[in-house]
Amino acid sequence: MMNKVELLSPAGDLERLKVTLLYGADAVYIGGQKYSLRANANNFSLEEIKEGCDFAHKLGKRVHLTLNIVFHNEDMDEVEEYIGQVVEAGIDAFIVSDPFIISYIKTNYPQVEVHLSTQNSTSNYKAIEYFAKEGVDRVVLARELSKKQITEIVEKSKVDIEVFIHGAMCTCFSGRCALSNYVTNRDANRGGCAQVCRFSFESGEEKEFTMALKDMNMAEYIQDLIEIGVRSFKVEGRMRSLYYLAVVIGTYRELIDRIYDHSLTEEDMKVFQERLDRVANRETSTHYFMKEADYTDQYYSGRSELSNQDYLGQVISYEDGLLKFYERNYFEVGDTVELFTPKGDHIEFVVEELFDKEMNPEEVARHPDEIYYLKILLKQEVPEYSMLKVVRRKNESVQSSSL
Amino acid sequence: MKLLIEVSKKEDLSIDSVDGYILALKDYSVESVCSFTLEEIKEFVSHTEKEVFVKCNKNFMNEEIEGLTRVLKELDTLSLTGIFYYDLAVLEIKNEYSLKTDLVWSQTHMVNNYKTCNYYHSKGVKYALLGKEITLEEIQEIIKNSSITCMVEVISKPSVAFSKRKLITHFYQDLGKPSKKEIVVREKMTDTPYQLLEDESGTSFFMNVVTNGTGVIKDLLEAECPYIIIREFGLEEYFKELVQDTYSYVQGNCLDESYVEKYKKIGDSTNFFFKKTIYRVKK
Repeated sequence: MMNKVELLSPAGDLERLKVTLLYGADAVYIGGQKYSLRANANNFSLEEIKEGCDFAHKLGKRVHLTLNIVFHNEDMDEVEEYIGQVVEAGIDAFIVSDPFIISYIKTNYPQVEVHLSTQNSTSNYKAIEYFAKEGVDRVVLARELSKKQITEIVEKSKVDIEVFIHGAMCTCFSGRCALSNYVTNRDANRGGCAQVCRFSFESGEEKEFTMALKDMNMAEYIQDLIEIGVRSFKVEGRMRSLYYLAVVIGTYRELIDRIYDHSLTEEDMKVFQERLDRVANRETSTHYFMKEADYTDQYYSGRSELSNQDYLGQVISYEDGLLKFYERNYFEVGDTVELFTPKGDHIEFVVEELFDKEMNPEEVARHPDEIYYLKILLKQEVPEYSMLKVVRRKNESVQSSSL
Repeated sequence: MKLLIEVSKKEDLSIDSVDGYILALKDYSVESVCSFTLEEIKEFVSHTEKEVFVKCNKNFMNEEIEGLTRVLKELDTLSLTGIFYYDLAVLEIKNEYSLKTDLVWSQTHMVNNYKTCNYYHSKGVKYALLGKEITLEEIQEIIKNSSITCMVEVISKPSVAFSKRKLITHFYQDLGKPSKKEIVVREKMTDTPYQLLEDESGTSFFMNVVTNGTGVIKDLLEAECPYIIIREFGLEEYFKELVQDTYSYVQGNCLDESYVEKYKKIGDSTNFFFKKTIYRVKK
């Protein structure tokens, strides 16, 4: 194994950028306030892009900016000026789908990488040859490819290859879908996708027609993808929560590191998979990787999303045996919880003493966003953005709980 | 302005009041209801003096590249007017083998601005089939500002999406019933109907409402639009008459106002010709 694979995280805002980099992402991809396919995420102002780049670069990490809408005439008016501004702000790579934009960037800013967006649904080595000649540095592959196909593409391509490893999936080829335009008038390819593929449709049969997909989870094939020579692993979800991103990125960080230092055990793998399963709000599949996508990769009963109440709190500080945190979900004295940190620590303990912000003893924490304290003796420091999650409720048996 | 048609019944290639035909190449094209083998295309080309375009608009996989290369080389011997492509592998193969047949940039929902049209023209692509989710005003601006030869689909059931998945088969598998190759579904809140067709390549989604662009043909003529297209799918009942009338209408410089009146029967959907999409829901 040569260069270590890049773990690439989504970041919908500056806080997510910081959290995911601290939890082990090597790079983040973000959207500016223009030209990004998540027009309804918070997205980054120019000042925030600069702050995010500064933060990442101090850690030796990178920031990729999505510029991957399908451009209309009017979108072209100011894009060249904007490209100059974000280059100045310090971004390391653009994620682009429009070949005119690729050509413009490579002509004017050759020092900045250009990555071909999955919006192009690039699915073969011959198309990659075209884009390599256009100066593209990396291609984000279509999500419809098998292990064999990805392997052949990596072998035959002169550019870096990036694949999605985790998160939500489009039912149709990315870029080849305007369902949202026709149902909601929201332009799918300019950042307005309304996820119509997760709607239910009257079918004339006894059940409604649905086509929603299970999420992708490639944890069990990360070693295969590393051995194939994939350069970057992308996690989907610029609009996902801090907690979700911390768990997913932290887990993949540990998994990748253990593969590289040859310390990965079956027990580790089980723990990692359980963490990823538990934070997910949908069932998962590896989709096309080992088989043609089939019946089992879809839902047939409308939206099937679970609400996750595991996230208990975000740590503010730890001093003198007191853990100060913002509460996120209800928990109580006697619950078994886990403190996990950006450094990869996972500390499980039973809540014995809980206090409100005035240091009055409490039996339960029931007010989201309010400050609480936990008494706990720890040997190590607890860095900012450490988090608390539930392991077991006090009335729950050990057998019925998971990580 | 030239008129091209894409038929949904092979016998309708006998309609000759057109400037040319679009034939979907079997196994190499999607989002068409009628496809033709290479042999059928060869046969047809040998008997017509009209323009012939071939659709080769799949997203190709590695294992299809060899066959694609072979078929593009064979098509190159037929003096076709052009080949519609989605996948950039087609352009790369044309360049690699110095194939002479012109290409049509046909990335369904992506052909939306003149700068990218000009980019492809600079790469040797002669034609562009404009996206169907842009307004007439945007189309006019593209025609005015681009060097590429533009095509606009004016009367058709628009292609809306394409999935590699066998979505109809999976749906009926869940129901425990024999599958179909075609189904109409309806989004409940907006009552938007889609027609889904499935074949070996995957599932094509069409809007199950015909776009009636008869009213914009005159605008396109005035904008010096080089090509308009009518697709037969969904119009089978009066397709031949519609094509003949449209051809005459265009030949007569769109002065016969009774044409637009006559074809109000197609319906009142003008798709996105006069409706802009939005994409930012919150500020």
